[in-house]
Amino acid sequence: MTAANEAMNGFVAVEDPSQTHHWLWPEGYELLFGVPATLLVFGLLYWKAWPVIKQGMAARTQRVQDELDEATKARGDAEAEAARIREALGDIETERSRILADADVQAEATLVDGRQRLDAETAEMESKAASDLEAAASRSGDELRSEIVRLSSAVIDRVVVESVDDTAHQELIEAYISKVGAGAGVRNDV
Amino acid sequence: MSESRIDGYANAMFEVARAEGTLDEVEDELFRFGRSFESNEGLRDTLTDDGIPVERRQAIVEDLLGPNATATTTQLVSMVVAAGRGRDLPAIIDSLVARASSAKDLEVAEVRSAVELTDDQQDRLRAALANATGKQLNLKVIVDPTVLGGLVATVGDTVIDGTVRTRIDQLKSRL
Repeated sequence: MTAANEAMNGFVAVEDPSQTHHWLWPEGYELLFGVPATLLVFGLLYWKAWPVIKQGMAARTQRVQDELDEATKARGDAEAEAARIREALGDIETERSRILADADVQAEATLVDGRQRLDAETAEMESKAASDLEAAASRSGDELRSEIVRLSSAVIDRVVVESVDDTAHQELIEAYISKVGAGAGVRNDV
Repeated sequence: MSESRIDGYANAMFEVARAEGTLDEVEDELFRFGRSFESNEGLRDTLTDDGIPVERRQAIVEDLLGPNATATTTQLVSMVVAAGRGRDLPAIIDSLVARASSAKDLEVAEVRSAVELTDDQQDRLRAALANATGKQLNLKVIVDPTVLGGLVATVGDTVIDGTVRTRIDQLKSRL
C-alpha cells in the first residue's frame, strides 16, 4: 500500500508541476546550483567570520583566565590581611598600654606647663597692678599740683585786683613812663 | 570786606572830617568808639544784625554817640552802619586813624591802661615812647581794666609791655 502510494505520488508529481518528485530531496538540477552556492557561502563564512569568532573566543578565554588570576590574588591578599589583623589583635594590649603611658606623660607635661603659665600670668598681673597703682598715684599728684596752680592763680588775680588801688595804679604808670623814657621797657616784637 | 573798600571808606570819612575842620576830634572819638565796639559784644551784635532795621541801628548809634561826640562822628558811624558795613567799623576806623596820623607825619601809638591817664601823663608818655622808638607819635589811650595795672604800648610791630596782667601770666607760667 505504501509503495503504491509513493508510486502514485511520484507519478502525480511528474504530472503536476506544483509538486516535487520527493518530499525531502530537491530536484537534480537544483543540486547543480545549490551545492556550489552552499559551499561558496560556507567558504565565505570560514574566510571572513571564523577569524573574528576565533578571536572573540580567545579574548573570552583570556578574560576568564584574568578573572581567575585576580580572584586568586585577592584571596592571597585577604589571607595576608587576615594574618595581619590576627597579629594586630595580638599586639593590641601592648599598644593600649603604650597609649596609656603616653597619655600619662602628656598629662603631666600639660600640668607642669599650665602651672608655669599660671605663675607667669600671676606675676605679670601683679607687676601691672603695681605699675597702675604707681601711675594712679602719680596722676593724682599731677592733678593735685594742677589744682594747686589753678587755685593759686585765682588767688593771685583776686589779691592783685584788691591790692592795686589808685595810688598803686599811679605808681605803676609813673614807673612805666620812667622806664620807657630811660629806654628800659619790656619789648616784644609782634 | 576787601582792603581797598576799607581804605575807601576810611579816606571818605577822613576827607569829610577834614572838610568839617574837626579831624582831630573825629579821629579821637572814632578811635574810642572802635575800641568800645570791639570789646562790647552786645553792641557789636546789635549794629551788625541785619534782622534789625537800619533806622533802628542808626537810632542806637545816635543815642550812644549823640551826647558825647561831635555831630560829624555820629553821622559817619551812622553812615557806615546804614551801609551794612558795621562789621568792618574797627578796620575802617584804624585805617582812618593811620591816615590821619600819616597826614601829620605821626605814627599811632596804642596804649592800654587800667585807669584814665591825665593829660600830663599822656604828654610824658608820648615823649617817653618817642624817645624809645625814635618816632613822632599820635597817642591813643584805651582804658582796659583787663590789664589790671600798668601800661602796654603798641607802636607798629613793637610792643612795650609793663602790665600787671603780663606779670601775673608769667608767674602762672612758672607755676
